[in-house]
Amino acid sequence: MGKKRKHSEAELPAAKKEETAPERPKRTLLGWKDKPENEQELTGFRNREKVLVTCSRRINYRYRHLMLNLVSVLPHCKKDNKVESKATKGATLNELVELKSCSSCLFFECRKHKDLYLWMSKCPNGPSVKFLVNAVHTMEELKLTGNHLKGSRPLLTFSSNFDKDPHWILLKEMITQIFGTPKEHRKSKPYHDHVFVFSIVDDHIWFRNYQISCPHTGADKIDRGGLEKMTLIEVGPRFCLNPIKIFGGSFGGPTLYENPFYVSPNQIRSLEKRQKAGKYAKKVKAKTRRKAHEMTNQLETDEFADMWKE
Amino acid sequence: MDLRTSSLPFSLYSCCSNNKIHNLLMVYSYTYTPLSEYEMAIKKPTPKLLETLPEDIDMGASESDPETESEPESESESEGDEDVKLAEPSKTAIYNKEAILDKLEDIRWPLDVDWMHKLSLDIDQEQEVDVNDDLARELAFYTQALEGTRQAFVKFQTMGLPFLRPTDYYAEMVKTDTHMEKIKGRLLSEKRRIEEAEERRKARENKKKAKEVQAEKQKERTKQKKDEIESVKKWRKQRQQSGFAGGEKDGDMGLPFENGKESDTSKKNKRAGISAWDRSGGKAKQSGGKDRKGGNGKRKSREFRDSKYGFGGKKGLKKQNTAESTNEFKGFKKGDSFQNKKRKK
Repeated sequence: MGKKRKHSEAELPAAKKEETAPERPKRTLLGWKDKPENEQELTGFRNREKVLVTCSRRINYRYRHLMLNLVSVLPHCKKDNKVESKATKGATLNELVELKSCSSCLFFECRKHKDLYLWMSKCPNGPSVKFLVNAVHTMEELKLTGNHLKGSRPLLTFSSNFDKDPHWILLKEMITQIFGTPKEHRKSKPYHDHVFVFSIVDDHIWFRNYQISCPHTGADKIDRGGLEKMTLIEVGPRFCLNPIKIFGGSFGGPTLYENPFYVSPNQIRSLEKRQKAGKYAKKVKAKTRRKAHEMTNQLETDEFADMWKE
Repeated sequence: MDLRTSSLPFSLYSCCSNNKIHNLLMVYSYTYTPLSEYEMAIKKPTPKLLETLPEDIDMGASESDPETESEPESESESEGDEDVKLAEPSKTAIYNKEAILDKLEDIRWPLDVDWMHKLSLDIDQEQEVDVNDDLARELAFYTQALEGTRQAFVKFQTMGLPFLRPTDYYAEMVKTDTHMEKIKGRLLSEKRRIEEAEERRKARENKKKAKEVQAEKQKERTKQKKDEIESVKKWRKQRQQSGFAGGEKDGDMGLPFENGKESDTSKKNKRAGISAWDRSGGKAKQSGGKDRKGGNGKRKSREFRDSKYGFGGKKGLKKQNTAESTNEFKGFKKGDSFQNKKRKK
């Protein structure tokens, strides 16, 4: 009796299974076969950007923290060991990028423990840009009070003057590729809660990162009022990029653009020093001149000088 | 930078700036130009730029040329800060537009790529921003970001995609909880500090006000007193002029202070010859002089000492002269000689 019943029970689900089984999508080693493929066919495009992030040796802690912040903000990046910054660094970096199978690279080069240069390059044969970085604020600063999901895809906003000149357009394209997290990246999260700002002010690119805080009631629909009430809280980091040069190749090649207004920080410092340096020499010079002057036009002896002396 | 003085934790930029930003946004007219459009615009040669940069086509030029390095020496920098620029563009700077556009074509994603891949938005800057004005600059960035997110959210909504994090979706954040705790602590302490300062300021103001009120009162009081005295004087004058018309009656109208005066004078008469503060009631001078035998029971020395050093009553002012004592030269000579002797020593 017992056996029989069991048998009949087992039969029923099996029958159900047969009904549902054909609907199951086919699986391959790399994931589900059907649906994504269809989508890809529609757009014919998939963003497979990977960014290598490294820095030079003897980098400042502040700049290192900036780099780490960027690493935490870009889920599609790979951080690598420090690289010795010498003349042949371009070749080694290219090799490294290839080794890590990345398609672009952010290289933080610190010189003299105070000047930070950022190389942004498309590998293996895209253009590369060298920036001078200043006005750096890291995420650790307590004044920056925002916070957002690690790995959520950022919205990129550009100021309209990026469309003014060819080199700005090129930079914009590079920035969208490097800073935008690829869609459906495995480390990315499905929501959007932060926004990047790239704005050109005074021929510098200013970067800001804001958290989007929006009062909502769980549902994904927000009305007009919700949009009005939306506020942004800064998360950091902050920095300001001053483009110095654009090269044709990755970490080298012909120069395509050169910033005509650029003055290197070394020059600025030397100029300052020179302004300060002349002080003592000037004083000595003035003294000798005075002496010479006194020698040439001597005072006539005063005839009444010892009138009251006796 | 310092938009963040509002003290509430985690809603920094909120109330104060929101209205302003909102107003700005109303003025906005943003355009989202598709790529192909501005490409056309660029490919047209811009004569002005070409004029300013005559030798901009040498591809093979080496990276660094010494001329640009030596140029800025003559011109004086305003500040040794971050934003130092050449006054005029250096002539030798390379600008190879064709090559740049070529490269752009190389690396660019296909033009018909879905917006979801890029998530990029172009926002019009409504006006030139002054770099050195921190507040204006940050506000410009903020408005840019805000406008961008609004547009993006509208897009997401039309596409029907989820974009807001559900409240029960917990995941790793960029900043750790300990760090956020620190931030919170700082905000709270800042808030407290501001409140305390406010309180102190208030207290100070109150004090000042109280002082003023007090001074006012004092003034009023003195004025009243003066008025009263004046009125009395007037009244007296009138009475004198009218020749005591009221007779007895008027005299008896008796202002209290007059009575007081009388009594005062009588007292004075009573104590005539005694200094105002002599506690022994004039005894000292008597006993100090000749009358030493008046003791009844008490020892003489005690009496003397009492009179000399005082016994009860107010101390001090004992040696002060009265009108009588000044005219009295009785003990003068003696004391004088005595003193002189001492001085000679």
